[in-house]
Amino acid sequence: MFADRRIGLALAAPAMLFVGLAFLLPVGILLSESLHAPSGWTLSRYITFFTDPLSLEVTLRTLRLGIGVTIVSAIIGYVAALAIVEAGPQTRGRMTALFVLPMMISPVARTYAWIVLLGRTGLINKAVVGLGLSDEPLRLLFTETAVFIGLLQLFLPLMVLSLTSALENLPADVIPAARVLGAGWLTIFFRVILPLTREGLIVGGTLVFTGAVTAYITPAVLGGAKVLMLETLLYQRVSVANDIATASVIAAILIAMSIVTHSLIRRMTGMRRAA
Amino acid sequence: MIRIAGFSVLGLALLFLLGPFLIIAGAGLSAGDILVFPPQGFSLRWYAGVFEIERFRESFLLSMELAVGSTALALLLGVPAAYAMARYEVPGGEWIRTIVTAPVIVPAIIAGLALLRYTVIPLGLPVMAALVLGHTALVAPYAVRVVTVSLTHLRPDVEEAAILLGASRTGAFFRVVLPNIRNGVMAAFILGFITSFNQVPVSLFLTGPGVSTLPIDMLAAMEFVYDPSIAALSTLLALMSVSIVLVAERLLGLSRYV
Repeated sequence: MFADRRIGLALAAPAMLFVGLAFLLPVGILLSESLHAPSGWTLSRYITFFTDPLSLEVTLRTLRLGIGVTIVSAIIGYVAALAIVEAGPQTRGRMTALFVLPMMISPVARTYAWIVLLGRTGLINKAVVGLGLSDEPLRLLFTETAVFIGLLQLFLPLMVLSLTSALENLPADVIPAARVLGAGWLTIFFRVILPLTREGLIVGGTLVFTGAVTAYITPAVLGGAKVLMLETLLYQRVSVANDIATASVIAAILIAMSIVTHSLIRRMTGMRRAA
Repeated sequence: MIRIAGFSVLGLALLFLLGPFLIIAGAGLSAGDILVFPPQGFSLRWYAGVFEIERFRESFLLSMELAVGSTALALLLGVPAAYAMARYEVPGGEWIRTIVTAPVIVPAIIAGLALLRYTVIPLGLPVMAALVLGHTALVAPYAVRVVTVSLTHLRPDVEEAAILLGASRTGAFFRVVLPNIRNGVMAAFILGFITSFNQVPVSLFLTGPGVSTLPIDMLAAMEFVYDPSIAALSTLLALMSVSIVLVAERLLGLSRYV
């Protein structure tokens, strides 16, 4: 509304300069390291990274966990969100709050709980041995399953909340209409609900996926040195061997994934505004 | 039938999300010396004992100072920027928004490493300054976003009226705009505080010997502490976050800004 461009620019400049100089510049230098070698600009650091069996294994595991957590949280998320929307408005608000609340709690505390549950003398092992399902405690901690469970707990709320808000915007009569016309539940889900809530699924899915592939605390605590993900590999390579070559390539991979997913979200939410 | 199945999945999902907190809260109540659930006996000694642990006390205070300081700084930078983008035709406005919100896109551990190598070490910055830089940059996008939301709820003609009635632009901002977006700014402060207080990856590379944040100290302690003290501490921190959020929701309607 105010036409004076100089004042506007002066007000925005401090924040822009701060983020630009204190944040983007160093990150940019780190990224440029990935294309660097003593001989000049080259892709050799990427080639080294992707031909190293450990790095490749860790990259694939990170993608596998990211995709797996996204799919499972979408399945649980749809069922939970449909149940939330089905309930009355008051219950709906309370349920939403119950999903928001854990997101405000320290991820360190959230992850620590699984040590108590999954450890050798943890609740699950006590139950397994007590019921005679196994003679000795199972190794549950420091496995990919443990990391999967931890990630699912951390990011499931994001999926439930995006799907709930997508389902709330669904016209109230489409499901009864489909039922009257004789559609079964599976048909209703795949032909009516899914297409109409696609945006919410994509927004929730990208938030869960980016969150999972860039997680540090969960793999560090529940995976340890045995089940590395990209961020724990980065930390290990830098702190043990000051290996900036590997770190810069991991940084480039993670930032590239993050930019792709964020622009996807932006396009989705932009579409909703335009529609 | 389908309904019952749906509600059971919802119940199981909530149990999966919230149950672990009951477990750590319970494990912290144990009278014994090792971390187990169900607890052996019942006592509050681990909850009381947490306050006696020098290390955690120091890093708790540091995390508090860091969270308050960097959120305040992020708001000082973010409020004018959000105001400029909401009310002025800023040249390259979309670019500015992209730059200011960019820290959301960069994984925090990478930001921490880059800051350490290319800013902190070359300039010889102390640990605390390094932490403030990293945390402020991470909190700034939230500050801008939340304040922008509350500015869009405030009609621009209120300021125009104040200016027509003789207020200066600065006067109109401090006497008309700021009191009206106060709740939004406070919501931004609370969200920023919680983000910074719980933040781990950006601090990983930036903390130094003797100067550490509470979550980083807890992560380190998990490797050699097998008694219920960390469970007790985690429970207390969870209660702290939950009560801050509940109070903020009551007073400010926090969820409107998230």
